[in-house]
Amino acid sequence: MKKNILLVIIAVVACAMTSYAQGRKGLCINEVMVQNDSSVIDDYGLRHGWIELYNSTHAPMEISSVYLTNDKNNPTLYPVPLGDVNTEIPPLQHVIFWADSEPNKGTFHVSFNIKNGETIYIFDADQKTILDQVTIPVDLAPNTTFARKIDGKGGISQDAWEVRDGKGDLTYITPSSNNIIVDTNTKVESFRILDKNGFVLTIMAMAIVFSALLILSICFYIISKIGEKISKVNKLKAQGIEPSELPKGKKINDSGEEIAAIVMALHEHLNAHDQENTILTINKVKRAYSPWSSKIYGLRELPRR
Amino acid sequence: MEQSLSEFMAGNLQTFWEMTGFYNATWEHFVMLAVGIFFLYLAIKKDFEPMLLVPIGFGILIGNIPFASGMEVGIYEEGTVLNILYNGVSAGWYPPLVFLGIGAMTDFTALIANPKLMLVGAAAQFGIFGAYMVALALGFAPDQAGAIAIIGGADGPTAIFLSSKLAPNLMGAIAVSAYSYMALVPVIQPPLMRLFTTKKERVIKMKPARAVSQNEKIIFPIVGLLLTCFVVPTALPLLGMLFFGNLLRECGVTTRLAKTASNALTDIVTILLGMTVGASTQASEFLTLETIGIFFLGFMAFIIASSSGVLFVKLFNLVLPKDKKLNPLIGNAGVSAVPMSSRISNNVGLEYDPSNYLLMHAMGPNVAGVIGSAVAAGVLLSFLG
Repeated sequence: MKKNILLVIIAVVACAMTSYAQGRKGLCINEVMVQNDSSVIDDYGLRHGWIELYNSTHAPMEISSVYLTNDKNNPTLYPVPLGDVNTEIPPLQHVIFWADSEPNKGTFHVSFNIKNGETIYIFDADQKTILDQVTIPVDLAPNTTFARKIDGKGGISQDAWEVRDGKGDLTYITPSSNNIIVDTNTKVESFRILDKNGFVLTIMAMAIVFSALLILSICFYIISKIGEKISKVNKLKAQGIEPSELPKGKKINDSGEEIAAIVMALHEHLNAHDQENTILTINKVKRAYSPWSSKIYGLRELPRR
Repeated sequence: MEQSLSEFMAGNLQTFWEMTGFYNATWEHFVMLAVGIFFLYLAIKKDFEPMLLVPIGFGILIGNIPFASGMEVGIYEEGTVLNILYNGVSAGWYPPLVFLGIGAMTDFTALIANPKLMLVGAAAQFGIFGAYMVALALGFAPDQAGAIAIIGGADGPTAIFLSSKLAPNLMGAIAVSAYSYMALVPVIQPPLMRLFTTKKERVIKMKPARAVSQNEKIIFPIVGLLLTCFVVPTALPLLGMLFFGNLLRECGVTTRLAKTASNALTDIVTILLGMTVGASTQASEFLTLETIGIFFLGFMAFIIASSSGVLFVKLFNLVLPKDKKLNPLIGNAGVSAVPMSSRISNNVGLEYDPSNYLLMHAMGPNVAGVIGSAVAAGVLLSFLG
């Protein structure tokens, strides 16, 4: 009974840990604009500062009930409302919140404005866990953004961020879009250029395949040795012999061949075959009639070769 | 202007005519239909992998009936019945379900009894990577080369799984090629086995495998999953289902589930997988020089895989003690065409010594090949996906 209770407790703890692991840790701030005079407009045709959030996981993420704030001491400044289907961010996608201090305009209008030098936080539903934060540079110019160099990467380090003015090829301002635009599969391109004949991939891949199966092989070699030892001890115990009493070097053959030979010999000697070949049994088989199973109404038997 | 009855009927008949297959047919459609009928002929009359080539062949017929686009019947048209069924291929969830059935059918005893045979299964995967190098030399892009090379694993579901991720446009040709060569295993392998072995090697008698306890059989899928998937998590869908199916079989308390997985479920998925893969082969993708290249590379991959398995056993024998030498005729079974390649090892072995049964010894590398090809697919997906 105690054992069962312990098992149940372990299962509950395991489930709790699993649900913790599936939290909203992949949600992050991805790009911020403070003064917006010429960039993207909201659904009312107006321009405001904006905060872009990014779901860096490969699963959809529901963000209702997380909190956005620019005041660490007031983590619940803007709770993302419940009941809006648009608060589910698809995998590796973005959503923009307008920093216009007008929450009555809709789900994506937060209750505060943002200024240079401020830190923006995302708090989880527990109001304690900071999911992400970013400090806006004090000298961020109008119509420029402070953006992650690579979407969702770099944690809370400010080094992972850069100022983007939208003028250069690599400094696009990208509301609701990836900060880095990838037009080729970089991995494939690298292999195409650096491993033209496939030799490197072959060596690496074969090494991995061999290692995986070698580890499995070694593991099962060890398990089989332990298994053999246990079965040997059990066999000796069944014969009433203590393992320590067995003379050194004496092996127990457990290939099954000896047993098979003994069984065959007994079979021959006793003619211990059961007698089903010589007995004819006729049993009446009763089946309730149903047109569904009637052969009359069936199509026909399946053809056999 | 009032329309006369005859004009009205003529207009409707004209519309109907424009919707028919006869109006929309091109010569490519007829070639593809001929290909489908050829596969049906091979399967029904020649007994080449009928369980797979009948669904694939008929699928080719279904997929190449000409019709005007927009009728919402085509396999690539969003939301159609065929499109919904095709999701199992395009999203890659049919192959893992087939692997569940394979796991529930496979007895890993031979492998557990002699774990070093896993290395033979690993060596045969050189067929995949050898074919990858040849494919690059023929001008295929690395991701396409990886998808084609997996044919060398001799594992249809793995080939479909990987090609749906790396080169979806080549998937039809790759699947058809993989299954065709698997059917040709009895023709391709024996000459190679004879070529690379001496008469003396062919009559090596291997020690009978030791008895394997039920506990070991239960531990195998659990440890196997943990070890292989920690190394190659990208192979998780295939290996996860394979080992799960095997646990259902071996644990002894889920016999009903194991039976369903290995019978009804596998049959259902095989029907849907084969039919939709066949239906996805469109003339524009199939009737190209690339397809010929794929068939050639598939052939190369099979030859390299079978040869490398045999040669590896010979090499391995150099370091094994005299009483533990392996018969190189089991090397071909490192490709995962289960259990056909094991049967070939056995048959060729019996030709040279009628008392030398290699079947159970060959099953070791054979099932290791299933694991090895799934791991190899995971590696390719990690590098090129």
